Amino acid sequence: MQQSGSSPASPAATVLYDDRAVTLDRIGPDVTAGELWIEARDLPRFDGFELKPEGACRGDVCVPLPAGSVRQDQLNFAAFAAAAGRAVVGEPAERIWSASRLLPSGTTGSPRRAPDITVPDRLGRRVHLAGFRGRKALVVTWASW
Amino acid sequence: MGVWIDEEGCIVRPPEPAWTSTRTSVFGGKELSTDGERYVAALRNWVTNGSSSRHVLSDEEFARRTRTRSAGELEADASFKLGVWFHQSGNEGLASKHFERAQALCPDDWNYHRQLWSFGPLADARTKWLEKFLKMDSPYYPELEI
Repeated sequence: MQQSGSSPASPAATVLYDDRAVTLDRIGPDVTAGELWIEARDLPRFDGFELKPEGACRGDVCVPLPAGSVRQDQLNFAAFAAAAGRAVVGEPAERIWSASRLLPSGTTGSPRRAPDITVPDRLGRRVHLAGFRGRKALVVTWASW
Repeated sequence: MGVWIDEEGCIVRPPEPAWTSTRTSVFGGKELSTDGERYVAALRNWVTNGSSSRHVLSDEEFARRTRTRSAGELEADASFKLGVWFHQSGNEGLASKHFERAQALCPDDWNYHRQLWSFGPLADARTKWLEKFLKMDSPYYPELEI
């Protein structure tokens, strides 16, 4: 998992978010397994959302936030995640939380629009799904275990 | 699992079993079958006929097959990621706690079981897999609705 952030060795919190581990320097003091207050300035680190009067917004898309989920310069991360279709589970004593992955239809518009995933080929070169535009594509996933 | 994506980048068919051969194996006296011939035939039909293929799903059928995940499924996903994190960090106690939480929330999701078993001895994984496979009432692979 990729580390994301410029925090010191012991961050205030780490959030597992998609394929990243986002480290936060400051969080609110009231944390539980399902609750985490982050600094509003850190919100863009989660999918590029920004806090606006309409809610958490990215481009033209705004996710309304429930009442009480914003205070001073902090945001209830679990409330934001829930509004975006994610669940949050944490271990407060370990200062780590995890957000569930988002299905392609989550915040990307049409549910039939394929996400632009990128995977390495057998030679390690990065292959972008969008690079197949103009051709039919069959994406097959398989794993041994 | 296979996903069909058209020239415009739109998903024609969401994930479904994508075998290329039809065969039946037997484990502990119980059959496990793959249905590849019908899948490949359907795939060829789409390649030839494009959007007019009978295998292109309507928006309604697409929505039915891509239902929203339940709160429990979302929580299981988050818990399992946390379990993997703790496993990779060497904290097996908390790793087990979150793996078991994910399995309890989604007992029929093989991914959560198989991934956990992969962390232990291979022989144990085989035994546990067979035990669960023999007990299950539903098909091991989702039914191919082609």
